[in-house]
Amino acid sequence: MDNPVERVLVYLDGSIESVTAARYAICLCRKLNAKLYGTFIINTHALNDLVKSRIFIESEQIEYKNDLEADADKYLRNFETEAVSKGLAPECIKESGLVNVKIKELVRSYEIDLFVIGELSRIRSRRDEFHNESERAMRSVPCSVLIVKDEDRVDDIYENLN
Amino acid sequence: MTLLEMINEDVIKVPLESNTKHDVFRELIEILHKAGKVKNTESVFDAVINRDNQMSTALENGIALPHAKTEEVNQLVLAIGVSPKGIDCDSHDGNLSHLFFLLLAPPDQSGPHIEALSEISRATKSNAFRRVLLSAQNAAEIVEFFCED
Repeated sequence: MDNPVERVLVYLDGSIESVTAARYAICLCRKLNAKLYGTFIINTHALNDLVKSRIFIESEQIEYKNDLEADADKYLRNFETEAVSKGLAPECIKESGLVNVKIKELVRSYEIDLFVIGELSRIRSRRDEFHNESERAMRSVPCSVLIVKDEDRVDDIYENLN
Repeated sequence: MTLLEMINEDVIKVPLESNTKHDVFRELIEILHKAGKVKNTESVFDAVINRDNQMSTALENGIALPHAKTEEVNQLVLAIGVSPKGIDCDSHDGNLSHLFFLLLAPPDQSGPHIEALSEISRATKSNAFRRVLLSAQNAAEIVEFFCED
């Protein structure tokens, strides 16, 4: 193996941080000549929990699921557009379920060797850390993980990538 | 956006003054309005009541989680209120509601809205969490609790 990184997966969740992570992943893949994958995972597990807890009614579950489907399409489309504009041919993967479990499955099935995520939110406690899906994915994926920080710097690198 | 990022003393009321469900919704919305986070309070009230009319947002164990999507907020916002005496809000277990979490989200932020509701749901299942919030004497104590590592 000549290249230490051949397949990169970036996790998109609609946050600014995930957009920054995607841009950094685009830059990395260009420089390393690696294959780029982007995924948006619709957290149907959380939706189901809210219905079970009687916080959501059925019509809300359907409405929010439709919203998330639309978000997934939008953010994956934006990701694809940005990657293509930098000369890459990314693969977009829309999934649904429990986020950290789905990410682990994707890492295995696509033989990902670098998982890229955006900067993590502040947490209140160890309990929050346990429940934060990005944290759980970061800790449990079987490949190396890159947490992308410094949005301004990443934007500069991305914009200057010819 | 985590709960921690939405919480400050401006969006917390201890104790709540209201005695009825409708009044407490108005009181929490007014807190957000004064904090500059809500535009048209009547429109927000209608959205919250409309959702509550479909199924009470007063859960169990003294927790109420009124929520709605509305164009009247620019981002996900949360107001917290504590009513030591309790308010009858037609809760699922028939008990009075003491801890109120009003969550409002713009229509295009369903993802963060779901995450925040899940986070509140998980946190409020803890007896210790509920006990600490209920014993708070003022907003500062609640902020301090949320900011503890």
